[in-house]
Amino acid sequence: MAAIHGDVHGHGHDDHHPTGIMRWITTTNHKDIGSMYLWFSLAMFFTGGFLALGIRAELFQPGIQILEPELFNSFTTLHGLIMVFGAIMPAFVGFANWQVPLMIGAPDMAFARMNNWSFWLLPVAASLLVSSFFVPGGAAAGGWTFYPPLSTQGGLGVDMMIFAVHILGASSIMGAINIITTILNMRAPGMKLMDMPLFVWTWLITAYLLVLVMPVLAGTVTMLLTDRHFGTSFFNAAGGGDPVLFQHIFWFFGHPEVYIMILPAFGIVSEIIPTFARKPLFGYSSMVYATASIAILSCVVWAHHMFTAGMPTVGQLFFMYSTMLIAVPTGVKVFNWTATMWRGSMTFETPMLFAIGFIFLFVIGGFSGVICAIVPIDIQVQDTYYVIAHFHYVLVSGALFSLFAGAYYWLPKWTGHMYDETLGKWHFWLSMIFFNLTFFVQHFLGLAGMPRRIPDYALQFADFNMISSIGAFGFGMSQLLFVYIVIKCVRSKEAAPEKPWDGATTLEWTHLPTPAPYHSFEKPPVFKPVSH
Amino acid sequence: MDEHNKPNASMLQVAKAVLAAFIGIRKKDDLENDAANIKPSQVIIGGLIGGAIFVVTILFVVKIIVN
Ligand code: HEM
Ligand SMILES: [Cu+2]
Repeated sequence: MAAIHGDVHGHGHDDHHPTGIMRWITTTNHKDIGSMYLWFSLAMFFTGGFLALGIRAELFQPGIQILEPELFNSFTTLHGLIMVFGAIMPAFVGFANWQVPLMIGAPDMAFARMNNWSFWLLPVAASLLVSSFFVPGGAAAGGWTFYPPLSTQGGLGVDMMIFAVHILGASSIMGAINIITTILNMRAPGMKLMDMPLFVWTWLITAYLLVLVMPVLAGTVTMLLTDRHFGTSFFNAAGGGDPVLFQHIFWFFGHPEVYIMILPAFGIVSEIIPTFARKPLFGYSSMVYATASIAILSCVVWAHHMFTAGMPTVGQLFFMYSTMLIAVPTGVKVFNWTATMWRGSMTFETPMLFAIGFIFLFVIGGFSGVICAIVPIDIQVQDTYYVIAHFHYVLVSGALFSLFAGAYYWLPKWTGHMYDETLGKWHFWLSMIFFNLTFFVQHFLGLAGMPRRIPDYALQFADFNMISSIGAFGFGMSQLLFVYIVIKCVRSKEAAPEKPWDGATTLEWTHLPTPAPYHSFEKPPVFKPVSH
Repeated sequence: MDEHNKPNASMLQVAKAVLAAFIGIRKKDDLENDAANIKPSQVIIGGLIGGAIFVVTILFVVKIIVN
């Protein structure tokens, strides 16, 4: 393998780059930055998780026990914001930083310094969000969707949230531009677009979605800011504005956003399933096409979040049909994963377990989505726990499970050590059991009419809430096991096999040593397309 | 794009590729043909037109149902 410092002339400076903390602050290396993204998102995952456990502790029994209603609302709001913008999205960007260059045979990301900047914006935004709990008036409490008029009324906490969202948006846009440029310009010679691994494809499409909708979000929060401080009335009916306009703009961002959080997950799963089934991905091209069409369709379904906000029948039917049609390309993907496993010689190491768990539970979330899309049903379940159940099936057992799958899959490549397989399996099964315990019962609660975002509830909801809270604490504790597994892996003395997964076919496994050297692919690899 | 053959796809081929993309299914041979013959700008324009047709079609269906 190409020695790390084989080319002394070009890289003499490597020997005296900063060490200690300055290494991390000044680094432009995609692997360093990828690791920082991943550790950051893990920390945010536990911050958001802490808030979730606060919510579930309060809901363990009817009545108000530990959180004042206002604080409870701040907990739900910040839980959503931190999980979406602090945990899931940065985690996927972390994967992109590590894996995109390795999988396309590029030496680094295209804009290495901007990459550093995109990362270091994140802790700033996170500090704003977390510290807003301690300012007068407390943190934003109008929900992660910050609808006006609640969000035009709150105190300083809301301004801090708006600023944080601006910063996070800027970071995402820079990250997306970086990823697009890297993928389009820095592929190994001979690698055509249609030869790219699916993870790279899904990120390319996701990055375009990001560039398309993050500015919309920025515009929305800016209008909110001017409504709050500069006397405009975009969303204020008294001044001639319209609060429902906010919902349209927010969801024009918001629905593509949920796909931003799931398309890279599709990519990770599409790498893992073929490896552990030891068969090429069934229908590679359909997968690319399905991803592209999901991305396009995701821009014309937004008002399914607003069926109860008042809308002409024509509008309701339009968004109902368009939303249900999006299930078609999604179904194609599930079919392809299943067909890939069909008659494969499968083994069930932890990455594969999480990938299969993903498929199984994501389908449940997809079904409940289609059910929410049916207008007469949605008018019943809107703003109930049914919707909470739906989106946790797609986001936790969807996006998050794929992140776990990917972490276990690539940990040996990143660290050079193998994770503990037995503990990994424990982590999977505990997560699986406690996840379903937490969220499956929320379907029943929602159908029975329990509203979301309330600190107290009627007595008939007590049993399922108790079950859900027990599940949530179990799930939270199981994630500590993940941290232990990762630390144990990083610290381990034993070297991982060069290629622990014999079915893997992408460049990082076939053309690089394990662990991947600090500088990889300084000379582009010779790429031979495998037929898909 | 490619060195050997210049992209030269007919409108019909672009339309077919876009339709296939919306459903999410494409035969491998057709795909390779697409990849060789369709220019990225064609795909993008085709996709936008396809998206517009998609929207108009649903609107049309909805109008029929409501009347
Ligand atoms: C087959 C695909 C899907 C369909 C048909 C679908 C449909 C819906 C509908 C109709 C709602 C609105 C429910 C309501 O508020 O009454 C909704 C909410 C939601 N969905 Fe989905 N969905 C799908 C996939 C996904 C995916 C993949 C994600 C994320 C990864 C996701 C995340 C969400 C979130 C976060 C909400 C709630 C937002 C909120 O009100 O806080 N959905 N979905
Ligand atoms: Cu949606």
